[in-house]
Amino acid sequence: MSLVNFTTREITCKIVYYGPGRSGKTTNLQYIYGRVPEARRGRMVSLATQTDRTLFFDFLPLDLGVISGFTTRFQLYTVPGQVYYNATRKLVLQGADGVVFVADSQARRLEDNLESLQNLQANLLGQGVDVRSFPIVLQYNKQDLPADLILTSADLDDALNFRGYRSFAGDAVRGAGVFETLKGISEMVLKRLAASGAGVP
Amino acid sequence: MRAIEPWVLGPLGTFVSESQARLALLMTTSGQVVAQHGFAGSLDLMASAALGSGIIASTSELAVQMGWEPFRIVMHHGSRRAHFLGWFDTPRGRWIALVVFSADTKLGLVQVFFERMVEELVAATPPEPGQKKEVLAADFERELNASLRALFGR
Repeated sequence: MSLVNFTTREITCKIVYYGPGRSGKTTNLQYIYGRVPEARRGRMVSLATQTDRTLFFDFLPLDLGVISGFTTRFQLYTVPGQVYYNATRKLVLQGADGVVFVADSQARRLEDNLESLQNLQANLLGQGVDVRSFPIVLQYNKQDLPADLILTSADLDDALNFRGYRSFAGDAVRGAGVFETLKGISEMVLKRLAASGAGVP
Repeated sequence: MRAIEPWVLGPLGTFVSESQARLALLMTTSGQVVAQHGFAGSLDLMASAALGSGIIASTSELAVQMGWEPFRIVMHHGSRRAHFLGWFDTPRGRWIALVVFSADTKLGLVQVFFERMVEELVAATPPEPGQKKEVLAADFERELNASLRALFGR
């Protein structure tokens, strides 16, 4: 849940990058970390295995600057994607203000995407979150791979996006779509915060 | 010392001075900072909150898996300094305290004054403020775009 300080006019929001294993969640955060000026970001914390698979979470605090008179900070988290880490995913998802679902565009990963998306919805429902009104955007990552290996954004919208979430094509290694995805979820989270009557932005 | 809401400062200040803690951080269970004493950089503070809440969440879940009550307090002893992590319930929901202390004080003292701080915080909690509905600023989207462009250098 967002934390709003009316005295110092600060907002802090939690955004979680979700999706199947190796879909590019950590790569999104690494790209953001690499492009954002040092003064506007904190240290990126990665709790990973020896083979660099996310074990618990990655964490990146980001200072968005002043928006509508409030100093706005985002805390970006990733979850471990592998199926057997569901207990950990639930913990990281607690108190999230928005979710970026990072799907792997490779055709052979479609089932994994579906399973992870269903798992996200189950975990949000388990926390009493109404997925119909909760801020979620989809990123179809790895769209740079050869066309015969991947599904197009339109195909993935048909297969995954039955709730009509905003979706973005991505290539997180080179950064395509990373900025647009973050902007998309930021808008949704802050607009929802304003609509909730918290008084901001 | 900083706090999201000023009524937290009194109990936290008393705790820090009585227990002789080096650093103290109060956070929500989702890792949002509520108040802090002694941290220099606000962004590293956020990482500490994320990690502290993660430790509490994972050890509590581990206890549940074992069929035990969730651990209320978790300690990490280093050679020169130690971490004390404890959760407690307030009228504003469950909060977590992360306390760093050195050989200047003792775990028992930290624990005693932690319990006292919890009582003081619960007693000092004012009613939830009324909702401050404001109109979405007309320039909200322009400012968000400008911030993101500045962040990504575009």
